[in-house]
Amino acid sequence: MTSKDECSTTDTNQASRESTNMSQDIVSSVGNSVIQPSGKVFKSTKARSSNKLTVVLRSIWQRGEGKFALIVLALWVAVSLVSLVWTPQSLWATDGYHVWAKPSAAHWLGTDGTGADVFSWLMAGARTNLFIAILAVVFAGALGILLMGAMVSRNSALSNVSVVAVDALISIPTALIALILAVPMGASVAVIIIACGIGYGLNLARIARPQALLAANSDYVASSLSYGASGFSVMLHHILPNAMPTIMVQLSLSAGTAVLAESGLTYLGVGVPSGVPSWGHSLATSVKFINVYPLTVLWPGLIVTVVVVALNVFGDVLRDAIDPVTNPELREV
Amino acid sequence: MSVEVKQLGVSIADKRIVQNVDLHIGDGERVGLIGSSGSGKSMISKAMFGLLPTNAQISGSVMLGDTQIIGADETVLASLRGRYVGAVFQNPASSLNPVLAVGKQIELPLKLHYDLDKADRQARVAAMLEKVGLDETTAQKYPSELSGGQQQRVGIATALITSPRLIIADEPTTALDSITQRQIVDLLVSLVDKAGASMLFITHDFSVLARATTRCYVLDNGQIIEFGDTSDLLNNPQNGQTKKLVGAARELTLQRKRDSDD
Repeated sequence: MTSKDECSTTDTNQASRESTNMSQDIVSSVGNSVIQPSGKVFKSTKARSSNKLTVVLRSIWQRGEGKFALIVLALWVAVSLVSLVWTPQSLWATDGYHVWAKPSAAHWLGTDGTGADVFSWLMAGARTNLFIAILAVVFAGALGILLMGAMVSRNSALSNVSVVAVDALISIPTALIALILAVPMGASVAVIIIACGIGYGLNLARIARPQALLAANSDYVASSLSYGASGFSVMLHHILPNAMPTIMVQLSLSAGTAVLAESGLTYLGVGVPSGVPSWGHSLATSVKFINVYPLTVLWPGLIVTVVVVALNVFGDVLRDAIDPVTNPELREV
Repeated sequence: MSVEVKQLGVSIADKRIVQNVDLHIGDGERVGLIGSSGSGKSMISKAMFGLLPTNAQISGSVMLGDTQIIGADETVLASLRGRYVGAVFQNPASSLNPVLAVGKQIELPLKLHYDLDKADRQARVAAMLEKVGLDETTAQKYPSELSGGQQQRVGIATALITSPRLIIADEPTTALDSITQRQIVDLLVSLVDKAGASMLFITHDFSVLARATTRCYVLDNGQIIEFGDTSDLLNNPQNGQTKKLVGAARELTLQRKRDSDD
């Protein structure tokens, strides 16, 4: 095939000669606006936004519910960071004379059964929950995408085995996985993260599979196979981008569920160990006294609810914002 | 690149789909393959890429240049695909990834087969877009923003960007209206001739065939029933089935003329 190689090299030489002219054109037109041959003046996208992330965030901000979600999530992150260096009261400053105190100037949301400041514990709890939610989502995302890839593989042995495996494993409840893990590991943050990662990862794979399968059997994948793309390249350039909106929605729902799971598992005694601040911990220690001191249960409950709603709404808005088909602004980046 | 198909047979689940097919494409030649739906045209094109379904039984030989495709190693096939053999597909709307900008899709084969930096690749994409008659802003557009004809031009750009030596066009005009069909065929023919590549043009449309090819094969029920010079074959078909096909095409053309005269 050597003679043919030479033949195509001359072709590419020609192409590169043409391309030098082309690139000069491009260089000369770099500025605030690019004048097209047709005479139309296009606003340079650089003036408004530099990357996709900015455009996506702006698209989310433009919707009312998106604004709500962004504010709540930003507040969550900010409070978590602040709690690392400052809380109104020390977490360990207990006051035996003022247990179950009402809200006051010293204790903004009152005190709990040991006389510790509820507001400070909730602030510190934010970082534990954020840590759990992020790691659970990362773990679930990695596992889910890996399994999704296996389920739509062109290797029929791999895809058949993984479909059956996912369908079988998905029947095990996340809480049961956590209870099993707690036997050797005891109550710990890792139990929640691993259990949620496995449970939500399996769910993610199952839910993203139809979208991924549609892409895998599509003409554009057939086309890319015909020009020599590998399975990995097809996964990266075609299947994943097409399944991404579904994956993002599912992951943000999973983040919300992870916050709920933290509360639930901590209440069961297999989640966050005592002494580690978390919203579930604040709930679990006060829930027995809900008839006597309803306020101490209300605060953590309210925070968990608002955060979970914000995450669910965020997933919904994010879905529309990251899809270039539904978000025309993204096409201009 | 020349193609030599000898005694090709393909069967899936004991059903013979293609049998005893002999087909030759010379270097720089444009050859047609025509037949009704289900006659096995696409199976032959898939065999040339080594992309037949895994449960297919294949016999015979397919030589691309001096490489045997049947039973070849996957790495050999992967280096041939795109680099030496390019494909244009039937349905341009579904052959493009809806969530990837057009420029990126044209760039992918270049990324796979050549070691070029990003600026060089983008310049080549822009040059290729110009060659297929699209302006360079098209690179940032998404498939849904293009018309069917423009989408097929992108398909052609994707197939030709790596300057392959053989183009397999599998019904590239079927999904287009008749004016766009003509433009796309003319574009494809001129680009293939300019590059000195060979082409296998698969279709069921005789008017497109006459425009695109010099020689052609008629396929029926998985077998070649007639072959020869395209114009001879269209004017004077020998085989009964070919006569039927040509006759039907003529009637349709006359019908179309009568409709437009009214």
